Amino acid sequence: MTAIVAPSTTAPPVAPAGTNDTAGARRIAAAFARAASENRAALIPYVVAGYPDHETSLAAALAAADAGADLLEVGLPYSDPLADGATLQRATSAALRAGATLERSVALLRSISAARPDLPLVPMCYANQILGGGDGRAVAGRLAEAGAAGVIVADMTPDEGARFEAVARELGLAVVYLIAPTTTPDRRVAVARRSGGFLYCVSLVGVTGARTSLPPSVRGLVAAAKADSPVPVAVGFGVSTPAHVRMLVRAGADGVIVASALVDALGPDGHHVAALSRLVGELRAATARPNART
Amino acid sequence: MTIAARPPRGGASAGAAPAGHATRSARSGRAGVVADIAARRLSDVRAELGGRSYRSLADEAAAYAALPGGAVRPVAERLAAPGLHLIAEVKRRSPSAGAIAADADPIALARAYEAGGASAISVLCEAHWFGGSVADLTAVRRAVTLPILAKEFVVDERQLPVLRATGADLVLLLACILPAAKLARFARLARELGLEPLVEAHDERELEAALATEARLIGLNNRNLRTLAVDPEQCLRLRTLVPNDRLVVGESGVTDPRMLVGWRAVGLDAALIGEALMRSADPAAAARAFVTAGSVPHDVAAEARLPLVKICGVTDSEGVLSAVRSGADAVGLNIVPGTPRCLTLTEASWLATLVRGASPAGKRPRIVVVTADASPAETRAAIAAIDPDAVQLSGNEPVAAIASIGRPVWKVLHLPDGASDAASVAADAIAAGRAYLAAGAERIILDTAGGPFRGGTGRLIDRGVAAAVARELPVILAGGLEPSNVAEAVIEVPAIGVDVSSGVEQNSSTGRSRAPRAPGSRPRKDPLRVALFAKRARAARFDRPHVPVRPTPVPDALLEPDAQGRWGLNRDFGGRYVPETLVAALDQLEAAWRQTRHDPRFWAELRELQFHYGGRPTPVYRADRLGAEVLEAARGLADERQDRLPDRLRLYLKREDLNHTGAHKLNNALGQVLLTRRLGKSRVIAETGAGMHGVATATACALLEIPCVVHMGVEDIKRQAPNVLRMEALGAEVRPVHGGSGTLKDAVSEALRDWVTNVETSHYCLGSTMGPHPYPMIVRDFQRVIGDEAAAQLMAIEGRLPDMAIACVGGGSNALGLLNRFIGEPSVRLAVAEAAGEGIGTGRHAAALLGGTPGILHGSRSYMLQDPGGQVIEAVSISAGLDYPGIGPQLAALMEAGRLVVSSATDVEAIEAMRQVARTEGILAAVESAHAVAALPGVLARTAAEGGEPLPREVVVVLGLSGRGDKDLAALGLREAAR
Repeated sequence: MTAIVAPSTTAPPVAPAGTNDTAGARRIAAAFARAASENRAALIPYVVAGYPDHETSLAAALAAADAGADLLEVGLPYSDPLADGATLQRATSAALRAGATLERSVALLRSISAARPDLPLVPMCYANQILGGGDGRAVAGRLAEAGAAGVIVADMTPDEGARFEAVARELGLAVVYLIAPTTTPDRRVAVARRSGGFLYCVSLVGVTGARTSLPPSVRGLVAAAKADSPVPVAVGFGVSTPAHVRMLVRAGADGVIVASALVDALGPDGHHVAALSRLVGELRAATARPNART
Repeated sequence: MTIAARPPRGGASAGAAPAGHATRSARSGRAGVVADIAARRLSDVRAELGGRSYRSLADEAAAYAALPGGAVRPVAERLAAPGLHLIAEVKRRSPSAGAIAADADPIALARAYEAGGASAISVLCEAHWFGGSVADLTAVRRAVTLPILAKEFVVDERQLPVLRATGADLVLLLACILPAAKLARFARLARELGLEPLVEAHDERELEAALATEARLIGLNNRNLRTLAVDPEQCLRLRTLVPNDRLVVGESGVTDPRMLVGWRAVGLDAALIGEALMRSADPAAAARAFVTAGSVPHDVAAEARLPLVKICGVTDSEGVLSAVRSGADAVGLNIVPGTPRCLTLTEASWLATLVRGASPAGKRPRIVVVTADASPAETRAAIAAIDPDAVQLSGNEPVAAIASIGRPVWKVLHLPDGASDAASVAADAIAAGRAYLAAGAERIILDTAGGPFRGGTGRLIDRGVAAAVARELPVILAGGLEPSNVAEAVIEVPAIGVDVSSGVEQNSSTGRSRAPRAPGSRPRKDPLRVALFAKRARAARFDRPHVPVRPTPVPDALLEPDAQGRWGLNRDFGGRYVPETLVAALDQLEAAWRQTRHDPRFWAELRELQFHYGGRPTPVYRADRLGAEVLEAARGLADERQDRLPDRLRLYLKREDLNHTGAHKLNNALGQVLLTRRLGKSRVIAETGAGMHGVATATACALLEIPCVVHMGVEDIKRQAPNVLRMEALGAEVRPVHGGSGTLKDAVSEALRDWVTNVETSHYCLGSTMGPHPYPMIVRDFQRVIGDEAAAQLMAIEGRLPDMAIACVGGGSNALGLLNRFIGEPSVRLAVAEAAGEGIGTGRHAAALLGGTPGILHGSRSYMLQDPGGQVIEAVSISAGLDYPGIGPQLAALMEAGRLVVSSATDVEAIEAMRQVARTEGILAAVESAHAVAALPGVLARTAAEGGEPLPREVVVVLGLSGRGDKDLAALGLREAAR
């Protein structure tokens, strides 16, 4: 008797091509391939642009690069980072107080890019910073021109990303999407197909922040992601120790992303670049794949 | 199924009962105790009746019926009256419950039930398992005036006339003990005897057999009679399988009157209740509680949605009386020569007189005389003879004919049959309808064409065409409607009314297969079908607040989001900008919402809470002193354009401050926390700024026993301390948010983080019409009751809709709550007042629309305060509830489409308005609401200054008083010191 309206599906629309066929995506792919050829997972450190100040963040970025980064994520500080836990919230607030702006973050990218041209840079930001009220062309153009290979927008899923992907394709930028433990299997396949360069696999149900241990379910998630993804799978959120990295590598991850742990390593005032460098080195060592069993 | 005859345990005499406790199926074999009872009954009946013939027993029944007091007491029309009715049962014991009330006096009980408002009494007749008897039935019948149901196990057809002759008016027939053919035969025999059969089923197979009989009453038993297990949801599930032209009785498992709220909402017509009544210490009071719970609540907002009901082609007094009894809004008297229902002028005039005389004072159906291509002289004669309220033109009358009729005209549009091009059929009908309305027609009726007579063919109009036309024009839907299909029709088509003729006539016993009309006979209305038609048509919309019920020229893009949650003419506001982790929860929420928003049971149960707990409906109050001062201030602002201002302002305050918890927030909190249960989540998260949403959520969670965590910025905690105490007193945990500016936007971000982390167990009860899809829609759906009520209340007081609706706006919940009803009404201006803080020019304000730019905040694209780098700027406002740098996407869409006037008031102006409302009307308004009062003079002055239609001389404005201002007294005090 009653007309029940069928639930609508919000699976991302069947792929336009995503952004995997861009120059940026190819640079990213090459970095993963290089790591694979060295029988290890790729290491992707994350630094907050402008934390604790512009110069120190440049030093931290270069230190991370030299200590073994295969790719480098650079966080663009935002006033309302709703995917981020206490560590990154604190760091981005401090960066904003120290005068971080989009201008300065772009300059930082340019500096890193000039100093380390072979290192693919992937800025990470929130939708309003890049899209604002428009299609994102202005900001994305500046990021591309400053040397970014791709971009991660923490609160933009493929459901909202089609228009921006078109812009990114024109600019040669990869748009990296995320999957989470809560992503349904069908959706995981669809998201992976739209992701450019690599697929960001969120390890846990929560926000960013170093954890003492990662949930055991992450192994299954990584395996499933690997099965579904045409692009390399990198795992992030909570990754903070060499043990974590080893576990993820054993689980099959193509790459590991480390963020809050590095911010923690910089110490309370953010200047301890040497500690960051040391930690990156340890994490890099842990990315080696165990030898194949005979 | 074998029915094994088993002697009763423990005794040879017919009156001895087996042990009275539950006889589980394990003891009785696979067929259960019901089979035992049936078998015993069969042998007892055969013993009692010996070789007596059915015929001789039927003669006795007829003789009984002829005696004074023996005539059948009709029950069907009682149950077809609005609401869910009580059939109250007298029962001493049962196999499932054991002894219930061994010494019960059935006469005293029956009288108590009657006093409590029951519509019928059920009397157990079976002796061994239930302790009942036919003597009880006879005694009860003498003691009350209500119809009596013989709750018997009928296995031999001769039991039927015996029961009638002992005073039964209804008889139970069980599909689980009678094979289908016998069931149908017994039902037919019962009806021939004047006994109303109640055919009972427990599952789909039994229901199929029940529906194949000619029984008008179908019983849906929650109890499985083989296993005795009760599933309280079973009758609700089965209800969807019963066509609407049957009366449906729910049985078993009712322990709490509140269950009947949902039963009524899903379309059960009666509840058969025994044990709960028998065990109560005060059966009359218990009966009354059940009757009250099943009755249709008085809900002005719901009543305003109901379709008009016109009963057309009435041919006799019984037809008139049944139309009047069913509360029909119009009665059609056909005088078209040569048609089956044609009346002479004398007959029509007499029936019209009967309508006037038989109707209760102040409420009678409109009398519509139906003509087709009549000459002016014929029409004049009909009007003179009948004095109708309206003349219906059912022929090919041209537009020019309307003006000369001299009475209101109802024009029928005939839609061509077998339309292959639905869009052009609809377009033609819309154009024709517009032309007739422009020429002065009062109503348009959509009917089918074809057949020997125009319309009245009983064939259905294509639903899609009807819906397309009804979306553009106010139409009454006719053509093939009847009780079994009218509910779907009024849900799918936003018609303002329905018109029925053949669908409520006495053509066939079940009314479903319509026999062709015998030439020369005049069809007569069937009172039961008339009553049922009206009941089903109205019930379909009563508990479905989101089904469109009237036309609107406003594009859907401003009224509803698309599947991706986007609003606006370009579908570019709203959407879902969230981390991937939240997508699954939002999908689940959206899927649950799409079902729930059209679930009548949910809305009926929510209404119970809102009315009995929340204090809805809230009043509208005409604030004359305040209105006079506002108009005076507007004159001051309008300067030389004053002449274009109204002479008088009737300013109505919609008093959400009188809602429980003192603000409109509870409307949404109650709804979302009720939804949380449906989602299977065990924890509720909320954000809060002023604290009112936090208090509302804590309140709803305390009521519904769900743990609650409220995130609140540290700055807000400082300035809204009383609300923090309230939340904690209600058992919620208030978590301070230190990040960012320590205000609402940071609380939202932290609540989202909490949700990302705890998404599997928690529901995020967002407080306003913002955030990722589906929140803007959900919160709007819960808050729209404000405007739905206000519109109905103003229609009752002023006889029309307001000229303007204005409210303060932060996120948008109270604004959209009030305005939603009026968005689709072009005659109503919509205005919002943003918080201008220290002044928009200073940059220290909270006006996202006036002082912001498009951007993405907290999951949706809308307007927001941001710097050129896209960083969110803190909002500044004395009002914590408006202190938000964003605004809901639907409001952004309305502004960009030009449907919304946006104004603002500063902190100082709002405080002053708070004082003004207190001084002139004795109301302490929240400082948020005061923004709307402060902005109103400017809004009125603006309408005078701009071109176009001026406001009427007597202007009616409704203002959303979103909350009470106790929480703001300190702010008032501070400003006092500063002055």
